[in-house]
This record gives sequence, C-alpha cells and structure tokens, in this order.
Amino acid sequence: MTLFILRRLGMTVVLLLALSLLVFGLMFAAPGDLARNLLGTKNVTPEALAQIRAQYHLNEPFLEQYWRWLAGAVTGDFGTSIRTGGSVGGMLTSRVGLTAAISGLAFALSVLVGVPAGVAAALRRGSWPDRLLVGVSVVGVSAPGFAVSLILLYVFAVGLGWFPIYGTGSGFLDGLWHLALPSVALALGLGAFVVKLTRAAVLRELDEDYVMFARARGLAPGRVLVIVLRNAAIPIVTSLGLMVGYLFGGTVLIEVTFALPGLGALLEQSVLFKDFPVVQALTVIVAFVISMTALLVDLAYLAIDPRVRARTVRR
Amino acid sequence: MGQRGLPVNYSRRGVLRTMVAGVSVLSVSALLEACGASAGSGTAGDKGGSAAAGQDSGKPIDLLRVALPGSLSNLYPGQESGILNYYAAAVCLEGLVGVDAQGRIVPALASAVVRKDPKTYVYTLRQNATFHDGSPVTVDDVLYSIQMARDSKVSPSTASYWANLATAAKTGSSEITLTSKTADEAFGWVPGNADALWIAPKAAWEKVNGKIGTASALLVGSGPYKVTSFAPDSHVEFTRNDAWWGTKPKVARIRIDFIADDNTRLLAWQAGKADLALNVPLAASDQWKRSAHSRIVFTPDRSYAGLTFNTSVKPFDDPHVRKAIAYAVNRQAIVRDVLHGHGQVATALSTPEQFGGLWTAEEATRQLAVVPQYDYDLAKAKAELAQSRVPGGFTANITYPSTGPQLGTAALALAADLKKLGITLNVKELAIEQWLAELNKGPALSFMWYFNTTGDPGELATWLLSAGNPAKYTSAKVSGLVAQAAGVTDPARRAMLLIQAQAAQAADVAYAPLWWGQSAVALRDTIGLSGYNSYTMVGNWPGNVYAAT
Repeated sequence: MTLFILRRLGMTVVLLLALSLLVFGLMFAAPGDLARNLLGTKNVTPEALAQIRAQYHLNEPFLEQYWRWLAGAVTGDFGTSIRTGGSVGGMLTSRVGLTAAISGLAFALSVLVGVPAGVAAALRRGSWPDRLLVGVSVVGVSAPGFAVSLILLYVFAVGLGWFPIYGTGSGFLDGLWHLALPSVALALGLGAFVVKLTRAAVLRELDEDYVMFARARGLAPGRVLVIVLRNAAIPIVTSLGLMVGYLFGGTVLIEVTFALPGLGALLEQSVLFKDFPVVQALTVIVAFVISMTALLVDLAYLAIDPRVRARTVRR
Repeated sequence: MGQRGLPVNYSRRGVLRTMVAGVSVLSVSALLEACGASAGSGTAGDKGGSAAAGQDSGKPIDLLRVALPGSLSNLYPGQESGILNYYAAAVCLEGLVGVDAQGRIVPALASAVVRKDPKTYVYTLRQNATFHDGSPVTVDDVLYSIQMARDSKVSPSTASYWANLATAAKTGSSEITLTSKTADEAFGWVPGNADALWIAPKAAWEKVNGKIGTASALLVGSGPYKVTSFAPDSHVEFTRNDAWWGTKPKVARIRIDFIADDNTRLLAWQAGKADLALNVPLAASDQWKRSAHSRIVFTPDRSYAGLTFNTSVKPFDDPHVRKAIAYAVNRQAIVRDVLHGHGQVATALSTPEQFGGLWTAEEATRQLAVVPQYDYDLAKAKAELAQSRVPGGFTANITYPSTGPQLGTAALALAADLKKLGITLNVKELAIEQWLAELNKGPALSFMWYFNTTGDPGELATWLLSAGNPAKYTSAKVSGLVAQAAGVTDPARRAMLLIQAQAAQAADVAYAPLWWGQSAVALRDTIGLSGYNSYTMVGNWPGNVYAAT
C-alpha cells in the first residue's frame, strides 16, 4: 500500500517535470515577444528592447532558461511576474482561495444534484422525467460556460435582482452570495455530465444478471439498489476525479465573465502576455492538484472495490 | 506613455488593444465634445450627450463608482502602462509637472518650472507638499523616483522615455535641475505623471525593492486621493487626501471596478452599478445609450490609425504603388460606415488635439490642411498603378489586432477597392501580442494604431519621420525639418516645422493616414464632468466631477 502510494508520487514528480518542460517549450515557441508586450507599439530603440530581453534572460538558449526556472521552482521560488512585477507566489496565494471556492461550490453542486438525478433517471428509464433529465443534461453539456453565465446574469442578476452582477463581495456570507451565480454557471455543464454518466453506469449495473438474481431471491429494492450503486461507483468516482481538470478550465471563462480575480482570469491574461513565470507556476500547481486527485480516486477504488484492493495488496 | 492596451491593459502611446474596440481601453467615435469643454479639443457633435449636462448642485459626492474595461494588475504605470493605469495613477501619484485641460504642461509637485536654456530645466519643489503617509516631499524623494523611473527593471514600460536625460541633480534645498542630452521640446513632458514620472517616498521604494503598485505594496503618493484598497483584476478604492495642496475635489471616495467582459459591464451599467464608465465599446454604444438615466459622450482621443508602407520592400519601394493605394482608400466611407461617424478623417500624423497648448482643434485642423491629400479616386489610383513597376497588380498582406476590429473592417473595405485595380490584399486578424511581434519584423504593409498621451504634436510624428521609423523612410528634406523642429523653443514655430515635415512626407506617401479616433464614456445623469476632453483623464479628473441636478 505504502509502496503503491510512493510509486504514484514518484510518477507524479516525473509527470510534473515533463509537463513543465512541455509548457515552457510551448510558451517559448508561441508567437509574440514579451519585451514588445511590455512596451506596446511605442517608439523604443533596439537597445531598450535588448535591455529588457537581457533582463528577463530572453536571449538565452531554451534549456538554459528552463533550467533557471526549474532551479528556482524546486526551492519554492516561482520568480517574479513579468507583467505585474509582483512575486508569483504572492499572486497565486492571493487568488487561489477564490478559485478553490468557486470550484468547490461547483463540484459540490454538481455531485449533490447530478448523482441523485442520474440514479433517479436510471431507475425510471424511459419515463418522461428520465427523458426530460437527459434532454436538459444534453443542453447543459453543450452550452458554453460564458453563454450560460450571461443568461444567468441577465435573468437572476439584472432581471430578478436576486444576485450581484460581478465582483467578490466582502465577508463570508456576502462572498458566498457573490459566488453563487458563477458556481451555478460552472456546475451546470459539470452537473449535466455527472447526470449522464451516473445514469449510464447505474443502467449498466441494473442490466446485470446479479440484479435479476437478487430480485428473484426476494431482496428488498433498497438493498438491491445499494449493491448496484456500489458497483456503479467506480466509473462515477473516476469521472469525478477527471472533473477537477475540467473545473479549472471552466473557471477561466467564468472568472472573466463575472470579473472575479481568481487563478483562471490570471491564467488567461498571463498566457496572452507570455508571462511565463506565472503560466509555469499555475500549470505545475494545477497538474499537481489533478495528480493528487487521481491518487485519491485510486485510493477510493481500494475502499470501494475489494477486488481492486486484493490485486493492489498482492502486488 | 505608450501603451498597449492589453486586455486589457491599455497602453497609451501605442497601439492599444483595448482601446479602440471599444472595450477595453479606448474606443473610437465621433464628434461631440462636451459642451462645457474648454477650447482646445475636438469638435462637438450631437450623437451622444454632453459630459457636463445638468447644473452643478455644488453638493459633495460621497462615492463615485467607475467601471473600467480590462483589468489592472499593478497601479504603477512604470510597470504596467496601459491607458487605464495612467487614469488610476493620475489621482494618486504626481509628477513634477502635469497636464491641464488644454493639453499644456502645468506645474504639479514643482511649483515652478524654468527652462534656463534649451537643454536645462529647473524645477522648484512645492513647499509643504506631503505624501499620503504624512512625510514631506523632499528633493531626495524626487531624485530617487527619477532613478526608479529610469531603471528598466523597476519601470520596464517607461524607462526608455528617459533616454534623453543627461543629468538629474539637486541644485538647491528645494530645487532640482534636469538636463537633456539634446534640445527637445518633448523632454519637458517626461517628468510628469502623464508621461514617465510618478513620485513616491524614497522609503516606500526601498521597502519593496522598487516593486511598488502591487496589492501588497499599495501606492504612496502625494496626489488628491490615496489608495485605500487594491485587489488586482478586481477593484481599487481611493479616499480623498485632504492634505493635498490643490483645490479639494467634491468626490470623497472613488471605487473603480475592473470588468473585463463587455457584456457583464453593460449589464452592470444597466443595473445602475456605476456612475461613470470609460471606453465604452463603439459597437455597443447604442445599447449603452438606451440604458436608463445615462448619456454617452464621444470625444477625440488623440489616437491615430493609418497605413504604413515599408519603403524598403518591393513593391512599396515604388512611390506610384503607394500613391495608388492612398487613392484607393475611401477614408470618408470608413469613418462614416466603419466607425459610425465616431471618428475624423485623418489628414496628417499629428492629431489636431495634439496642438492643445497652442491652437484649438479647429485652428490645428486648418494648419494641417497644408498637408497634401489623396482623396478617394479609383481612376487616379489606376493611373498611378499603371506608371508603377507592377502595372498589373500584386498580392500583399496586412494584419490587424483582434482588439481593433475596426481596423480589420477598414482593411476589408480597402481590399475590395484594391481588387478593382488588380491588387489582392489578404487581411488577417492576430492576437494583439502576436500583432505587436509582427510589427517588429517590419512587414511590407501594416497598420499603425497609436494613442498619444502627451500634448506634444511631435509625439508620433517625430518618431514616424526620424531614423528608425517603421516605414524605413528616408528623406533629407523631412529629416532636416524634424531636426530643425527639435532645436526650436518657440512652440508655434516648432509646430509649423512639424507640419511642414509631414507635408513633405505626404508627397512621398510613406504613410497613409486613415482616421483620428474618438472614445466614448458613459455617465449617469446624477453626475457631470466639466470640461471633458481627451486630456481630462490623465489629469486630476475627479476634480471635474460634480453632482448634477
């Protein structure tokens, strides 16, 4: 077990290294010139441009630049943002709470609503509530986040005036109130995905022979459902793990739309600007969070499925 | 003051990404200068409303809510120099000099400025001026701030403006003398907060190793307002500094929200969440206009949009080709249809408002009329092309930034006319960052999109007509006139020389000006903005805000 975890952690480190190198390479190859981004179209001498490039080591070979970044990053120093001049660590810590709150709320909403709705739809396969739920979730999965955000804003913030339009608010309750619409906007697509996935997983189990056998033996419907749900849990838990990556991607659009200063909005601006210290740090952190989630998901398998547990322990 | 408008950020002296399009930073549009506007800028129109509508009730305003497009991540314009950064810094940080409503240099932390000779400026520091932390403003603070402004690590965006500085020295207990390497009228603008100097206490700079303006190192300045809170990409709040040396503004507190998404900002405006919104997108100005209790005001923003021909590259090294294209540009139609009238046909590189300290916009327009024009005429265009080395036409490419969709539309309109001449023009949109990098490579045909920040008529023209210009244009006559203008201290004489240089260039058509832009602001009916023009927001703008009845 410990060995399993250690091995996974080792793989995570390798993955992070490879990913950071890849992203660094992409930023390096992307069109645009950081020095020009800082200076705009104004009239600057070639010397001034060269000075700025030298200052941020932009003229050094690719690997040298990467090494410079890596050497700092392993000691916890993610450097200074070229765009804002602030320390990357400080920028991230001041924003991570907001993004975590939106993502956490959206995750909780989509799981708390999506899983029961998916189970209910599967149990009533073919009925009109099932068809309605499936229809709504197709719309939810396909609707782009920014469009959903604007519709929500228009209806609930401007039309009905129940929620604020933008910003973060002050204090816990006011903050929660401000995050309600962004979280719902983010949760809609996610929740729809969870509904479809849960429904499919439960349906597959319901068609299994063991269910018919259990029913034939006269087991109470509630006990049969518990067995079905336990078996359906693995694909659902796996997909919930994958959703963490989706969540972060979703915050980019949602945060810009609702004028929220979170990591998503920061990533958008930093990528455009080629502000590589910020992009690198964000990528590594997000990749780390996703890796850790994947590890937790795998550990959850062990708890859920004795067969997996037996295999892992044997290895 | 250049800037790039980046997404939101905006730049001033440069092309901005945001500006124009309406969104973000500066936008374009037409006429109307506010009614109460002082002489000096722009023509008035009737499409929107007046910034100064209503009567000044004289009542204090407890809170002014401002909605900005784009986002600010740092409040120090030396680091992040979008036009919006200048607007925010203008209320809090001062330079030795500032800019007034007519676009003239006026004393700020310096109570007097004397130009002892063309290269020597002597500034007398204002007595009793204090910083927001209560400490007195000293010569040492100013000199240290200049040192920081010149440091490309601390002020990467503006350090290059100081290239012409020879020495900065304390020459008295409250006297500072700056000398420039060459005599240049433009140097007088540099130590101002509309250009490249923002004065903060030496201790504040040192405490954070020069990295002021972040959320963890709030700006400490000497201006009419002090920063009370700043959340990057979210909002900044200012409270009036009652110890300020100037006339106390009526607005006690200012809250500026950064709302990057245009739709969200419009919804916030419709819901009454802001009193003032800057750089309203041109394309959406009708929707803004229809909002309740609102008015939209269009003013010239001193931006220039035009074509740049790389005169060192075929086929644009042939003056007949350049003239053919100049004749094929229908500027009137572009301003009317692409800009919806919210702009002015550009006849030169200097915008009329750039002569603010000297002439009114109308007078400047008259003076600029000596510059030769190539009015839309396809027959003449064909005749020019027939005389060129490529009489049958050719294929060319042009790119435009995604933040300036009007440039793209104008390019497509031009492409349609050029097709009639046998010239194929491929138009491509690029992200602003990519577009800036593209410009750097000296493309054969490109757009110049530039927002002037100072009131110096030579700001853009000098660059475009001197060595190192983006058209790779050389002319002994033009460079002679520009050099002559640099050494002249009489503003009227200098302006005339700059116009003559532009006229001489126009005969060779290295540049084909398209339009001088306008930008739109939205105001709630409860407030008025007196004397609003393109210089307002880079000065003490809250001082012009009043409660309207």
